[in-house]
Amino acid sequence: MSHNRLGAVVEGTFADGLTVRLDPGTTTEQLRIGDFVVVEGAHNRYFSLVSDIHLKAADPRLLADPPRDASAFVTRAMAGTSTYATVQVRPMLMLEKVDEFDPRALLGQQGGPQPVRTIPMHFAELRTADELDFSTVFGHEGGVNFAMGAPLTMEIPICLNLERFVERSNGIFGQSGTGKSFLARLVISGVIKSKAAVNLIFDMHDEYSFDKQTEDKRWVKGLRQVFGPQVLIYSLDEQVGRRAGRNVDVTLKVGLNQIEEPDIMLLTEELNLRQTAEASIGLLRDAFHEHWLLKLLEMTPEELEGFCTSSGAHPAALGSLQRNLKRLQRQEYIVSEASFSALDDMVEALDRGKHVILQFGRFNAVLDYLLVANLVTRRVRQRYEDKMRRYEETKAVADKPRPLMITIEEAHKFLNPAVARQTTFGTIAREMRKYNVTLLVIDQRPSGIDPEVMSQLGTRVSGKLTEERDIDSVLTGVSNRGALRGALESLDTRQQILVMGHAVPMPITVRTRPYDEAFYAAMGGHARPHGTDSDVRDLFGEE
Amino acid sequence: MSRIGEIVETMSTGFVAESFELNQPPALGSLILVQSGSIHLYAVVTYGRTAGLDPSRHAVRQGTDMVSDAAIYREHPELEHTLRTEFGAALVGLAVDRVIRQHLPAQPPPLHYSVQTAPADEVRRFTDQLQYLRLLLQTRGEVPSLQVLAANLREVFQQRGEDHDWLDRAAREVATLLKGDHEALLTVLYAIDPGEQTGGARP
Amino acid sequence: MPLKLGHISQQMYGMVQRIADLTPEQEQFIALAQALLRSVDPDALRQKLDAQLSQRRRIPWLVATPRGSLCDSASAPALPSDYRVIGTDASSMPPDRHSSVRYYVLNVGYAAIRYGSLPHATLDSRSQLCFRDEELYLFPERRDVPVEGTLLGARMEVEAVRILREVVPPVAMPTLALRDGPLILWTLQNESTAVQERLLDDLLETLSFLRQARVPVGGYISFSDSHDVTNSLRVWLCQGQLNACDHCDDPQRELCLALAKIHDRELFGFLADGERSELFSSSSQVLQAYGDQQVDFMYLNVGGEIARIEVPRWVGSDAALLGLLHAGTLDQCWRSSGFPPYPPALQEAHEQAAITPTERGLVEEMLARALARRGQRILRSAKDDSKRRRGV
Repeated sequence: MSHNRLGAVVEGTFADGLTVRLDPGTTTEQLRIGDFVVVEGAHNRYFSLVSDIHLKAADPRLLADPPRDASAFVTRAMAGTSTYATVQVRPMLMLEKVDEFDPRALLGQQGGPQPVRTIPMHFAELRTADELDFSTVFGHEGGVNFAMGAPLTMEIPICLNLERFVERSNGIFGQSGTGKSFLARLVISGVIKSKAAVNLIFDMHDEYSFDKQTEDKRWVKGLRQVFGPQVLIYSLDEQVGRRAGRNVDVTLKVGLNQIEEPDIMLLTEELNLRQTAEASIGLLRDAFHEHWLLKLLEMTPEELEGFCTSSGAHPAALGSLQRNLKRLQRQEYIVSEASFSALDDMVEALDRGKHVILQFGRFNAVLDYLLVANLVTRRVRQRYEDKMRRYEETKAVADKPRPLMITIEEAHKFLNPAVARQTTFGTIAREMRKYNVTLLVIDQRPSGIDPEVMSQLGTRVSGKLTEERDIDSVLTGVSNRGALRGALESLDTRQQILVMGHAVPMPITVRTRPYDEAFYAAMGGHARPHGTDSDVRDLFGEE
Repeated sequence: MSRIGEIVETMSTGFVAESFELNQPPALGSLILVQSGSIHLYAVVTYGRTAGLDPSRHAVRQGTDMVSDAAIYREHPELEHTLRTEFGAALVGLAVDRVIRQHLPAQPPPLHYSVQTAPADEVRRFTDQLQYLRLLLQTRGEVPSLQVLAANLREVFQQRGEDHDWLDRAAREVATLLKGDHEALLTVLYAIDPGEQTGGARP
Repeated sequence: MPLKLGHISQQMYGMVQRIADLTPEQEQFIALAQALLRSVDPDALRQKLDAQLSQRRRIPWLVATPRGSLCDSASAPALPSDYRVIGTDASSMPPDRHSSVRYYVLNVGYAAIRYGSLPHATLDSRSQLCFRDEELYLFPERRDVPVEGTLLGARMEVEAVRILREVVPPVAMPTLALRDGPLILWTLQNESTAVQERLLDDLLETLSFLRQARVPVGGYISFSDSHDVTNSLRVWLCQGQLNACDHCDDPQRELCLALAKIHDRELFGFLADGERSELFSSSSQVLQAYGDQQVDFMYLNVGGEIARIEVPRWVGSDAALLGLLHAGTLDQCWRSSGFPPYPPALQEAHEQAAITPTERGLVEEMLARALARRGQRILRSAKDDSKRRRGV
């Protein structure tokens, strides 16, 4: 009997998990839903999660008439015998127990923990997991294993396998105030440091580039400050770019010529477009091809009328469309015509191992965010598609495009069921990693995201969620939902997350690693001053 | 060796002994011992009774307005010879060569052998194991077995120097044995509760 | 089994009725007798009784001669807080007429209780198996007077007193001895002098010992039947021939006849709680064999009954010894838990002396086995066998 024994298995099915009766002296309050625990079977070790806790009484009459005068002594005596508790545990992985001194057997274990195929017999011991268990399952820090945090009761690093992480699109969830942007910074930093992928981040709230003051008045570093010139800052807003110490590498302009129909349709709500908009745009496109928007915006009322007559478009519809779209034109970053070179250069930079953060500056309205993110991503994805095809032809390693992870916040705006089919993001999510492009989706309303997209997310990192439908949504397509539901509901608001999916062997509750000086040091934070020359060189020149 | 009585009835489950001191049988629930050869037989006192030596002679009131309680024995010295105190005990285990077994012995203790109070170190060693509580729960006599059990736990607790850890352990053992009958369990627990403790948080 | 309880119970009714009817009448006569007692001049009575006795005219009844006055009473003096009382009693297992083996068992019990600063009690018995000629026959050479019946009874009484020689400790502490029963062994009064002297030998020797040791001894008789004193009153009243009552025409005839039915304990009912009467000497013929160890008697109200206490003359004439016996006996009765009270020392002596039927059976069995080991058998009479077997 080990000294972190909790109890013994008394019942169970493979389908529904095991019931463990806690030993007398072990209180339910030692355990939490979602805790990582270990069941020692005779032949296998089962790495499991606590999914439920029950209180029982040996004599049901006790429940009808609990003792009124029970002192601490009496309660203690009855605890674990007359009154006892059971916990439900879900085996997640199992490892065959072998003789440690038999080299052949050890070799057979090289594969590590396997999916569960059986259950242990009665009275198998349940115990808390120790360091060895964690490292057996979650591996050691280093290389592609990036420490996300530690278990609730220990100081052992729990790692994401970043290689597997970037193999799929992923999501970071949690109700507001749960520190999703911190989580994103952590994960992205890990990806940057390990070079598992290059990042393109749509920084809607200006959070990722430079230092920012948190809720508790601390200043935290931006990715640019941690990683230096590896990280390029693009911005829509020129003014921001001129502020000292917050140098922007490229100011981006968006041409009306770059805006396509799907971009406009995404903005239906924002621009207050009518149902007729789509049809109208279609007609305009037929007539003017890629200049349709510019043309529309330039049309005089007479020209509008004329067009309507000639094309059969509805005048009122068209007029309204024009009015609504004029809003776009008024945005400072919108120009009539822009070259795609800026975007193409960005893709090249990414290909050279740089990471890009697109800031929005003053233009951080939903309208701007939706338009620019979708538009830029479309172009990027297209370039990636081209690169991928070329690689398939040449099969030269140098031609293989680097894996790209695109980070978007408020993801439900791009990925809700209504628009998921139309946005580039929806496409990327569904394509999985066809062109080496994946998403990192950040959202506090996961129920707003199309379930089909959700089911494609490989790894989900979630802070506390309380809405039923959000929890359901995050757990879409995940096995052992019952066990994880409880875990999600019982997370602490600030520091605890549940990590599950492709990048971890089994779901695990984790205390997040702090994003602080120690972290910056671990990431090998750059302190080099920046000069324009070096920036340009980084942008266009050698790696 | 403090001899406190002599066995006058003996059977496999226990014995009855006549106490050497009138009106002073050993404490209810206390552990007593009979040495039979090299074997120490342990028993727990299950009742005490004082009555006329001759079963056909019943005790009658001896007190008056002026003479009562202890004075009665001074004023009636013949009482020492016409009354007798007996006590009964249930066998709960034995020790052979210091190896303790907590089950009924193969042989009951011999008639007329002496009974002693068990010395503190033997009490401690014997009660380190708790299987004997099962035997105690099965006693049948005038004093209900639950009360005998509670008395024993109180006595041993004191003899072990107010050993709270032991009492907790014993209480849990009792809870296991009586888990199907929580009223019986509470009867015992209330009777052995040591009350408020001073000092030290309990784990 | 064939005792018809139904008939008995009917007859009992008649008996109870009669008692109830007689009681008020009886009480009247008792009052008259007590008045008479007070009126008698003791000297005159002594003279009259003396005359009757010395004339060798047989008085048909046992009479009591007052040693002092007739109606005076005395309270008990203070008792020392530390004192000792020894009570004795005896019982026997008589010889079995139906058995071929002759023996009897005597069991004498005693209780020596010390009160005061060092309370202590010793309760014990001495058991004797009597089988030798000298025990079975008063005159072993002649074997003509077997010790059985009355004689065995007398032997028992003597043993009950004789044991005092062994158990009176030499330590100086006020000590009194009591035995349950008389000291005047009137059952022997019809026996020959030789028999009387033989049997009384040990008794007289013990009394002498006690006199030396200054231990007053009393025979305690509860619910005594005696009417020695009332008989003396009859003598007092009689103006003619004693016992020629049919021809008596004295006006006191009715009272005289009533006196015949009044017991001394009823007569002395006037004694207050704790008081004793004056001493009286008995006219029992057996006393002639007592030599200089004459025994007198008195009555004592022990708080619940009037008991007759027989005491040696050397106790009666010694105020300190008599006072110790009087106060000690009362103290014993106060310690008694029963009603009427009975001295605990005698109670315990009795318990020590008693032989239960079971024990009797055991003795017989032990003997049978012992004999069997030596190839001997006990033969029984046919009647006895039939009693035991009771076959149908």
